[in-house]
Amino acid sequence: MHVSDIIFVIVGFVTVGSAAVVVLSRSLIYSAFALLFTFFGVAIIYVFLGADFLAAAQVLIYVGGILVLLLFGVMLTHRLYNLNLRTETFQIIPGILISFAVFVSLSLVATHTQWHRVPEKPLMPTTDTIGTLFMTEYLLPFEIASILLLTALIGAAMLVRRRTDV
Amino acid sequence: MITLHHYLLISAALFSFGILGVLTRKNAVNVLMGIELILNAANINLVAFSRYSSSGFDGQIFATFVIAVAASEVAVALAIVVTMYRLLKTVNLDQADSLKR
Amino acid sequence: MILDNLQSLRFFYPELVLIVAMLVVVISDIAFKRLRNLLNPVLTIAALLLALYFTVELNSAPATNLFQGMLALDSFAQYFKVFLLLAAVLVVMGSLDAKELSQVHQGEFFVLLLGVTVGMILMANSVHLAMLYLSLELVSLTSYIMVGYLKNDPLSNEASMKYILFGAISTGSMLYGFSLIYGMTGSLSLYAIRDVFLNQGVHGFNEFTVILILVLTLAGFGFKTAAVPFHFWCPDVYAGAPTPVTAFLSVAPKAAGFAILVRFLFSGMTQASGSQWGLVSGINWPPVLIGISVLTMTLGNIAALTQNNLKRMLAYSSIAHAGYIMMGCVVLTGEGLKAMLIYIFVYLFMNLGAFLVVTIIYNSDMTFDVNDYNGMFKRSPFLATAMTVFMLSLIGIPPFAGFLGKLFIFGAVIDKGLFWFAVVGTLNAAVAAFYYMRVVRAMIIEEGNGNLSPLNISLLNQALLVALVIPNIILIVFWNPIDRWTASSVKLFNGL
Repeated sequence: MHVSDIIFVIVGFVTVGSAAVVVLSRSLIYSAFALLFTFFGVAIIYVFLGADFLAAAQVLIYVGGILVLLLFGVMLTHRLYNLNLRTETFQIIPGILISFAVFVSLSLVATHTQWHRVPEKPLMPTTDTIGTLFMTEYLLPFEIASILLLTALIGAAMLVRRRTDV
Repeated sequence: MITLHHYLLISAALFSFGILGVLTRKNAVNVLMGIELILNAANINLVAFSRYSSSGFDGQIFATFVIAVAASEVAVALAIVVTMYRLLKTVNLDQADSLKR
Repeated sequence: MILDNLQSLRFFYPELVLIVAMLVVVISDIAFKRLRNLLNPVLTIAALLLALYFTVELNSAPATNLFQGMLALDSFAQYFKVFLLLAAVLVVMGSLDAKELSQVHQGEFFVLLLGVTVGMILMANSVHLAMLYLSLELVSLTSYIMVGYLKNDPLSNEASMKYILFGAISTGSMLYGFSLIYGMTGSLSLYAIRDVFLNQGVHGFNEFTVILILVLTLAGFGFKTAAVPFHFWCPDVYAGAPTPVTAFLSVAPKAAGFAILVRFLFSGMTQASGSQWGLVSGINWPPVLIGISVLTMTLGNIAALTQNNLKRMLAYSSIAHAGYIMMGCVVLTGEGLKAMLIYIFVYLFMNLGAFLVVTIIYNSDMTFDVNDYNGMFKRSPFLATAMTVFMLSLIGIPPFAGFLGKLFIFGAVIDKGLFWFAVVGTLNAAVAAFYYMRVVRAMIIEEGNGNLSPLNISLLNQALLVALVIPNIILIVFWNPIDRWTASSVKLFNGL
C-alpha cells in the first residue's frame, strides 16, 4: 500500500464528496465552494494520470475562470440586501432514483467491460508533446475552437450590454 | 494498486451527481454547476483512457478542447441567466413558465 | 488519401470565406455606422454565395480526408454543404424584413449566422470525434445566442434558457458516450473505431456497454434533430425565438444533425459491402432507431393537433418530420439514405415557406394565433394561396414536393420489407393532415374578424414567397436531377 494510493483514496473521496455537497446543499454559496474542491480534486486526479499540462489548465480555467464566473452569477442574481441564498428543489425522490440507476449502470460498465488496453507508458511531461500535436495533427480543431470562443464572446457580450441602440 | 477502474468509478459518481443536480435543482446557476460536473466526469474518462487505452495523447487533447468549450458555455449561460434576472427578477426555473400558455 | 494541413487548405475555401466574412462583418459593423443596415446583409449574402460557388467547384475533387483525418471531403458532405449554404441564404433574406428583428441591433445576428453555418458545414464533414464535438458545440452555442437575441423579450430569454440548459446536458451526455467509445477502441477517428469493432467484435458484457454508448450519443444527436425523447426543448424554443431564427433552426441544424447521425452510425458502426450495409455483430442499432422514429412521428403529430400558436404547431410538425426522415437510415440501404436526402431537400422549401408566411402575418397583425388567420384569403389571395401550397406540401399530397419526399422514404422502407413501418408513417401523415388543413381552412373558408385591409407584403418577401412556392410545385416534374444528385451523394459513402 503506497503512500500515493492512500492519497488517491483521500482525493477521490474529497472529489466525490464535494460533488455531493454541490448538488445537495441548501445554500448556493456552499455549493459554489464545494465545486471549488471538486475542481481541485479533478486536477489532482489528472496529475495521478500523468497529465500535468491538463492539470494546470484545469486549475487555471476551471477554478480561475469558470468558478469565478459562477460566483459572479450567484452574486449578480440575488438582491444584495437579502442574502438569503437558499435554493429550493424540485421533487427529489425521482431524481435520486434516476441518478442512482445511472450510477449503477455506469459502474457496471466501468468494471465489467473489456476496455482496449495498451502497455503502460512511463510518466513524462506532456506539455511539449501536446503543444506539437496542437500545431500538427489537431490544428483544425484548435482553430475551430478559437472561432467558437470568438462567437461565444461576441454573443455573450451582446446579450449583456445595456445600450439598446448600438 | 490504483487501476483504470478506480478512475472510471470516480467519473461515474461525478456524472451521476451531475445528473442529480440537473434534475432536482431549481436555481439556474445550480443547474449549471451540475452540467460542469457532467463535463468533468467525461474529462476524467478521456484522460484515464488516454493513459490506459491509447498509445497517444488524443484523450488529453480532446479534454483540453472540452475545457475550452465548457468555459464558453458557462459564459453564454451566465449571460442568459443575467438577462433573465433583469427581466424577471428571479432565476428560479419554475417561475420561467410563460411559454406554456 | 489523407492530406496534411497545408495541402488541405486548397479544399477549405468555403469555410475560409465564411470565417473571413465573420471578421469583416464585425469590423464593418463598427466602422461604417451609417451604412450598417445595408452593408451587413449584403456582405453576409455575398459571403454565403461565394462559399456556395467554392463548394460547387469542389464537386470535382476526389474523395479525400483533410487535415490529417479530421474532415472527409466526399459527396455526402458536399450535398449537405450545398444544402446548408442554400438554407442560410434563404433565412438571411427572410430575416431582412422581419419586424421582430428590426428593433434590435442586427450586426451580431449576421456574424452569428455565419458562425452557425461554418459549424454546420464542419459537422457534415467531420469524421473525428473531437471535430464532431467541437463543430456540434459551435452550432449549439451560436444557436443559444440567436434564440435569445431579443434581449428585452421574456419569452425569447426563457426559450434560450431552456435551450442552453437542455442542450448542455445532452451534449455533455454525448461527450461521456464518446469517452466510452474511446475507451473501447483506443481511437477517436470514426474509421479506426469501425475497424476495431470489426476486427475484435463485440462480445459478452461489451454488448451492454455498446447499448449504453448508443443511448448516450443518441442523447446528443437526438437533441440536435429534436427526436423523442430529447425533443422537450423544441416547442418552447421555437415559440420564443424570433421567427427567422425558428425557421433556421427547423431546417438547418436539424439537417446537420442527421448528417452526423448517419455518418456516426454508418462510418463508425456499420460495415460496408457494396451498396448494402451490414451490422457489426453485437451492435444492433436499427431497432432502436425504428422505435425512436415511430415515437417521434406519433408524438409530433398528435401534439400538434391541439396547438393554436402557429409556431408551436410548426415546432411539433418539424418533430414529426424528423421522425419521417429517420425512417430512411434504419433500412441500411443506399435507397434509404438517398430518400433521407431527398426528403430533407424538399422539407427545406416547405418549412421555410410556412415560416415566411408566419413572419409576414406577424409583421402586419402581430399575432401567431391560428384563429387570427381567419379570412386571410380576402386580404391577400397571394399569401393564402402560397400558404395552402406549403401546407399541402407538408401533408405530402401530390402533386406537391412533400409527396416526393414521402414517396421515396416509404418506398425505401417497403423495399426492405418493413410494411408495418410504412403503414405507421402513412397513418401519421393522415393524422397530420388535420392540423395543416386547419390553417388552410382558417385562411380560405373562415370569415375574417372584420379587418379587411389588404395585407402589406414587402417586395422582398413577395419575391421570396415566389421563390419558395415554385420548387414545391415543379419538383414533382423535375425530380430527376434531384434523384441523380442525391444518388451520387450516397454512392461514395463506403468511406476510405
